[in-house]
Amino acid sequence: MPVFTKRAVLVDGIRVEVLEAGSGEPLVYLHGAGTTSGFQDILPLARSRRLIVPIHPGFGASDDDAGINSMLDYVVHYNALFDQLDLSSPIDLIGHSLGGWMASLFTVLNDRRVRRLALACPAGLRVTEHPTADMFTIRAEQVPAYIVSSPDALARIPSTDLTVDMRVGRYRELTSLARIMWDRNYDPKLTRWLKKIGVPTLILWGTKDRIIPIEQAKVWASLISTSEVDTFEGAGHLLFFEAPAAVSRLEAFLADDRPLRKAAS
Amino acid sequence: MSTLQPLQFYFMHFMPYPDVAPGRPQGQWVDIPNRRFDPKIGHKLYKEYIDELVLADRLGYDGLVVNEHHATFYSLMPSCSVIAGALALLTERAKICVFGTPIALTYPHRLAEEYAMLDVMSGGRLECAFPLGTGMEYWVNPINPSFARERFREGMDILMQAWTQPGPSRYDGEFYQYKYLNPFPLPYQKPHPKIYIVGSGTEETINYAAEKGYGYSQVFTPIAAQLKSFENYRATATKNGHVPDSESIIISAMAFVAETEEKAIEEGKEHILFYFKNLLKTDSHLNSPPGYLPVERLRKRLESGAVQETEVTWEGLTSVYRTVLGTPDQVAERIAFWCEQAQSSKIILHLHVGDMPHWKAVKNITLFAEEVIPRVRKLTSLALQVAAE
Repeated sequence: MPVFTKRAVLVDGIRVEVLEAGSGEPLVYLHGAGTTSGFQDILPLARSRRLIVPIHPGFGASDDDAGINSMLDYVVHYNALFDQLDLSSPIDLIGHSLGGWMASLFTVLNDRRVRRLALACPAGLRVTEHPTADMFTIRAEQVPAYIVSSPDALARIPSTDLTVDMRVGRYRELTSLARIMWDRNYDPKLTRWLKKIGVPTLILWGTKDRIIPIEQAKVWASLISTSEVDTFEGAGHLLFFEAPAAVSRLEAFLADDRPLRKAAS
Repeated sequence: MSTLQPLQFYFMHFMPYPDVAPGRPQGQWVDIPNRRFDPKIGHKLYKEYIDELVLADRLGYDGLVVNEHHATFYSLMPSCSVIAGALALLTERAKICVFGTPIALTYPHRLAEEYAMLDVMSGGRLECAFPLGTGMEYWVNPINPSFARERFREGMDILMQAWTQPGPSRYDGEFYQYKYLNPFPLPYQKPHPKIYIVGSGTEETINYAAEKGYGYSQVFTPIAAQLKSFENYRATATKNGHVPDSESIIISAMAFVAETEEKAIEEGKEHILFYFKNLLKTDSHLNSPPGYLPVERLRKRLESGAVQETEVTWEGLTSVYRTVLGTPDQVAERIAFWCEQAQSSKIILHLHVGDMPHWKAVKNITLFAEEVIPRVRKLTSLALQVAAE
């Protein structure tokens, strides 16, 4: 199995950490709202590809950027980072949760930079009957039970609340999150914008997701005409951690070389 | 050596609702069961509490202090201006200090208007202290805690512009844009009522108050930490061309006076403990919503073990905080000492605390006014004479 190497990249004066593993065509993974559980689960993707996991400003080992206070700021940041990384031809883009929102908005605005899009239980939509849980009101000790479903997975979740460093690290990431979504953990305009996406899109979801309910999957599917949905029985919000089958499904989707670009309806 | 101006004694009321909800390790804020509120009890409490404040005015206290908290048994004042409005008409001479509405939680021009009304209604007796608001307030108001500090400062700029620049004027900020900033009425006092910033020891807040030339007060932090803050405040204020005097710093103390020390402890202790164990208690989830604290400040808090999360002991309260129970001589001695120690001539007294019944509060407020205040004045004027000799 490949391993991640880390390096620092300077984007607009902000140092961000970029993890990379494997070689081949680039594949970028935009992570969710927490970095503490790591990215080992998606490493199989690096067996045939150059897997790139940039850490968002304000998260993990990346610097804070006082100028970022919206999802659009992150999208603009990634445009600059991809230039920096010389990702000039269209790339495959994966986003998990918060990163799914980011990846979908990135694709709306940079249709020609993205070849295929994969969204794992993405945040960002307002689905009134099945709302996304408010991460801010969930107490630290309750978080594990919210993000995974099976007792086995729960037992494997590392506690993030043991030391002052861990608590401070978590508080910092929640602060970065609050700066962009304290008021609303969705963008009401996304419903309108997602219709512009015309690249092949795979939507992955665990059926036991307590953060973003599985019912939201069909709303995403109805908005992105070039999408297909796959669900994973019994899996929670940390989809790749809990359902290795989701990683395999992703590999198959990315290896699929059927004609890529369909016209958006 | 003393350089204190004549002391000013301010009586502060928190207006608690003592019938707290049982079995809440996280404290009595934010997600309390609000159906527990009984309006008949609330009505009785408002009458008693306002009577206590009015009594303090009659007894010669220099000021009355009211503050504001939301969704908590800690306070029946989600709007301090409402109580201050009643006091403006029911009292004759004491200053009325709003301690106050967190300006980030309301429209700044609206606060400028309300406070101007209070100043005019009271004939120029208003003083304004501006807190950021506790972290708990940001869970129950629709304001993003991660921009609280920026919003606070912009709010203060707007309020000052509203009070000091002839209107109408324009304001174009990050959070607010005013086409016609034009409050009416304007404050009675010129250029405006005395302004204090209320902090909890965060360096940037101290610097902000000192740079702007506002006064400073620090709430519920250990005495040693306060003294350090005051020193920094004075140094920064001086560096910025201001001349801080002993009125620039407000300190506060809990006091209970009785005929003997034993009686003071017997009558007062349980209510003070009730306050700390029930009303003031919170946990870090509620008191530090994401972004409310600078990240490094949270680290310091966790490393030092903030008061709300450690076990409250009587010894801790009486040695680390300004808490005194005793005879008039004993209480006067401590109060004089604390004012000298902090070089502050303005002291807020918490004389109704926790679940204290009305009769005890009346007794305490009366004894403090009649027996303690004259003694403190004598002690501090003696110190002045000694210093002069």
